[in-house]
Amino acid sequence: MDTALAKKGHFWTTESKLAYLLLIPGTVFLILFMFYPIVYVFLMSLFKTNKFGKILKFCGICNFKQIFLIKDFWAVLGRSFLWTGLAVLTKTLFGIVIALLLNVEYKGRRVYRTLLILPWASSVPISVMLWQWVYNADFGLLNQTLKMLHITQHPPYWLAYPIPAFFAAIWVDIWIGIPFMSLVFLAGLQAIPKDIYESAVVDGVNQWQKFRFITLPLLKNILVIATLLSTLWTFNDFNTIYILTKGGPINTTDILITFIYKYSFNFLRFGPASAMAVITFFILLGVSIIYSRFYFKGEE
Amino acid sequence: MVEKNVGLKKAFIYFWATVIILFLLFPFFVMISTMLKDFNQVYSKPPFWIPKRIAWENFKVIWTKYPMAKYFLNSFIIASGSTILNTLLCIPAAYAVARLRFKGRHFLLYMFLVVQMFSPVIVIISLFKIMSKLHLLNTYISLILVNSVFTLAFNIWMLNGYFQSIPKEIEEAALIDGCNRVSTIYKIMIPIAMPGVVTTVIYSFIASWNEFMFALTFIKTMDKRPLTVGLYNFIGRWMVQWQYLMAASFFALIPVVVLFFLIEKQLVQGLAGGAVKG
Repeated sequence: MDTALAKKGHFWTTESKLAYLLLIPGTVFLILFMFYPIVYVFLMSLFKTNKFGKILKFCGICNFKQIFLIKDFWAVLGRSFLWTGLAVLTKTLFGIVIALLLNVEYKGRRVYRTLLILPWASSVPISVMLWQWVYNADFGLLNQTLKMLHITQHPPYWLAYPIPAFFAAIWVDIWIGIPFMSLVFLAGLQAIPKDIYESAVVDGVNQWQKFRFITLPLLKNILVIATLLSTLWTFNDFNTIYILTKGGPINTTDILITFIYKYSFNFLRFGPASAMAVITFFILLGVSIIYSRFYFKGEE
Repeated sequence: MVEKNVGLKKAFIYFWATVIILFLLFPFFVMISTMLKDFNQVYSKPPFWIPKRIAWENFKVIWTKYPMAKYFLNSFIIASGSTILNTLLCIPAAYAVARLRFKGRHFLLYMFLVVQMFSPVIVIISLFKIMSKLHLLNTYISLILVNSVFTLAFNIWMLNGYFQSIPKEIEEAALIDGCNRVSTIYKIMIPIAMPGVVTTVIYSFIASWNEFMFALTFIKTMDKRPLTVGLYNFIGRWMVQWQYLMAASFFALIPVVVLFFLIEKQLVQGLAGGAVKG
């Protein structure tokens, strides 16, 4: 009987009345500062706007047409995917290796674990400023260290040229993301029962086979969810690029997120910027729906 | 034979763990080295690691000659304001989705999860216009409002998990003892779910303390800038006083790093969901 009652909330039972009452404040805020702005940006993408962002007149898909004609837009779109793919892949690999190193019992493991978290715990804008100084070509300690360790005698001018600047920026993003990946994978590894490995040892399986055929399949769920989450974060990483290079030299390190910001607040072209925001919205929506699917799958 | 193998394996692990940690902490070593040097040591060629003279005066200069105290205060006001607002909004909503049955509950949960992934950049154009219409540009309130909203969905999610883990019987007993539904929330549920509430409080404080983009866009005068934007404005002059910036960063990092360590485990679990519970 209890389950029959609990199965479906009828619209105006007291319980659901209370629920709606409790949900009002939070929902109102989300509607005002999240959904209404999204709707507004959709509308704006269909109108001509002046440089104060004031809507002038309806023009259909004019803003979309316009951005598709900008050569930089396609370069930026492509770079956003390259940026995301490369960074997520590197973070995942680092994460797995570090998690494996931390999953063994030894003295001082907790110290390593604590120190590992620092890049994530640190405030992102401040970390990026810090990296900007690290990358300084004349007085920065990175290039000095590269010389001291005889890695190269002619280290690049990191932030002055497009390709080094791109790699410099992507490394900062990776660096911020490594701790989360390592910790999630570590949690996943620690959940694997030890006796599974013990029976494998009896069967004479080597380390690599153990990893490939036991650990990896058992980590699959967590691997999917962590990489999806990391994909969203990486794609959305505004701070790293804006603070480190401001998208420069000449837009060569911009990704969609920073490009939208610059188009609106530096170039004051709100129409095309809204159109790009709409496109970004759909990309993010797609990935986050997949993420939610897997999240709930893990939950059940 | 086996003994030797174990020793070798340990040495291997220590070696690589140390290499990776040193590699990852590299920028922090740079920070510490730079904040202890004076201007001439910072701008010397070739650069060196160990300061020849420790410039303790840096730590004084940032508080006396630069508006560090003001930035700190601004960050503190904005972060506290958005944390309070966020908590007030998030507790009732989380309780409702965790405990009460109503139409659209599943949809709402799903939506909260999707919403937390949206980039603020998508809505910043609209929010800028909204804030300007409401005459809220260049105020603390504008940042308090947006910061509290952008952590709201995630916090409702996390707290929802905590509320759900509380056995129903406890609440039922309280109801029988004459508590009504609302008073059970703050007399029973919140005290039991305290670790979860603390996690969400700390998380939203950290998130607004670290927020950069909205502050950069909404705040135009120096006296309202939070730390992140204040420090960012150190850069961009023709010669940056890196030793001061590094010393200031060091202070700005301490509170968030300490707070972060308190919630790190819950955060990983909240983000990865059922996948880490194992």
